[in-house]
Amino acid sequence: MFRFLGSARLLLIGGALSYRALFNWTTPPMFIGTLLVGPLLQVFFFVYLGRELGVADDRFHLVGNAVLAASASCVYGGTMAVANERRYGTLGAVLLSPRHRVPLWAGRALPYVLNGLLISAFVLAAAATVLDLPVPPGAVPGLGLVLLLGAVACSAFGLALGALGLRFRDVFLVSNVASSTLLLLTGAAVPRETLPEWMRTAGELLPLTHAADAARRLTAGDGLDAGLLAAELLVGAGYAVLAVTLLALFERGSRRRATLDVM
Amino acid sequence: MIRVLRLVVVGVRTHVSYMSRSPIEITFAVLVPLVYATLAVHLFRAAGDPDRLLTASVGAGLMGIWGSVLFGSGGAVQNQRWLGTLETLVVAPTPLALVLLPVTLATAVIGTYAMGATVLWGVLLFGVPLDFAHPLLFLLAVPVCVLALGMTGLLLAATFVLLRNANALANPLDTPVWLLSGLLVPITVLPAWTHPLSWALPTTWGARAVHAATSGGPGAGEVLVPLLAAVALGSGYALAAVLVLGRVERRARAAATLALA
Repeated sequence: MFRFLGSARLLLIGGALSYRALFNWTTPPMFIGTLLVGPLLQVFFFVYLGRELGVADDRFHLVGNAVLAASASCVYGGTMAVANERRYGTLGAVLLSPRHRVPLWAGRALPYVLNGLLISAFVLAAAATVLDLPVPPGAVPGLGLVLLLGAVACSAFGLALGALGLRFRDVFLVSNVASSTLLLLTGAAVPRETLPEWMRTAGELLPLTHAADAARRLTAGDGLDAGLLAAELLVGAGYAVLAVTLLALFERGSRRRATLDVM
Repeated sequence: MIRVLRLVVVGVRTHVSYMSRSPIEITFAVLVPLVYATLAVHLFRAAGDPDRLLTASVGAGLMGIWGSVLFGSGGAVQNQRWLGTLETLVVAPTPLALVLLPVTLATAVIGTYAMGATVLWGVLLFGVPLDFAHPLLFLLAVPVCVLALGMTGLLLAATFVLLRNANALANPLDTPVWLLSGLLVPITVLPAWTHPLSWALPTTWGARAVHAATSGGPGAGEVLVPLLAAVALGSGYALAAVLVLGRVERRARAAATLALA
């Protein structure tokens, strides 16, 4: 019982403390500009592009990009949660801790899940209002669940990328490419049926793909698709396992070679 | 005049070499635009518009150039501040605007990697024919567009001297400029109230010139007129930057706040 409470404390309080410490440079204008306004404007870009080309309707681009908006926080945040510890020279202190690594790293991802959820919900609501594309009130609880699962899966993906930060010097290079790739392969901006087979398969293995499909069905009034939810959950769980495995592997490797703080 | 020209040329060469050795700059300049080029080509193909695939590749390249200018110019002042060299640059006898202009021009030159990469990507991967309406004018339009964007970048850099967190302004400016400038979507599909905003952007005219050289009509004026408009607007932005920089520099010297990040 005490062990469980200790892990929960590490997860929640540890995660919150690390978030505050690593992002003490962030200001409200930066949060609003980067995480709220930027993704919202991206929705308009793709909606107008979609209107011009006639490949998909407004709902497709609006909902897809709103779900994808979580990636701004989850991919970069997950990466920074690990890589910035190394950059600021605090990684050694973190890894000296005798605590179990799963709650320690999961706690790091938690703030980005909440951030991602907030961003997606904001972008969806604001874009739907501006573009006059109403969301059925009955779909809101289901949408909340879908956006949450998408943010969880994407944060696990970001943490897995962040694990590379223990091994490679410039992990932001990876996160930049990964973030752009999500735009292409998850079907947020381009209907996946128009993509080649290998790209569709790659999309199936990425976070947010199934969440975007599920959200589109919900906003169209088709109800919650349990299969898509389960697929998103499975993808998220896969990346969470990958993240923990890579973190453990690279931690051991950097201890052995004494390269923990080498930039 | 010769000294100024020499300063700009040497500065651009130095900063292009410096940025070309940075993996993150190359990622922004090449890999990310390639993702957008792929996306654009698939969208145009799905729309049953194969004749405009070259336009899609070129448009993605222009998006890359703007991205490079936006983040490069925004980071130009911040980087000098972090490196501790901003004060040295400010106290140098050369005006600050002339020191920063090569940096912003270099970011635009680095952006041309995006244009080369997206066009080559289209040719090699998607079999897009290099069927330019005006090949020579295209080769003229791209560098002039780059010059105009570099001058616009100077105003961005000047604005960012004022702001401690330049990224807060730079990050959301990416897609609206793509949209308002008609890099992929013609500005005619946008609401009428946005048109004056589009006309005020050098990117709009630069993109119009490059697109006209790619797939426009037979008249060379379709390329040259918007190109002149891009240069004129870019010069106006550069002039505004000189005024802003002078004012900001005086304020920062008086308040001793230049190095405060």
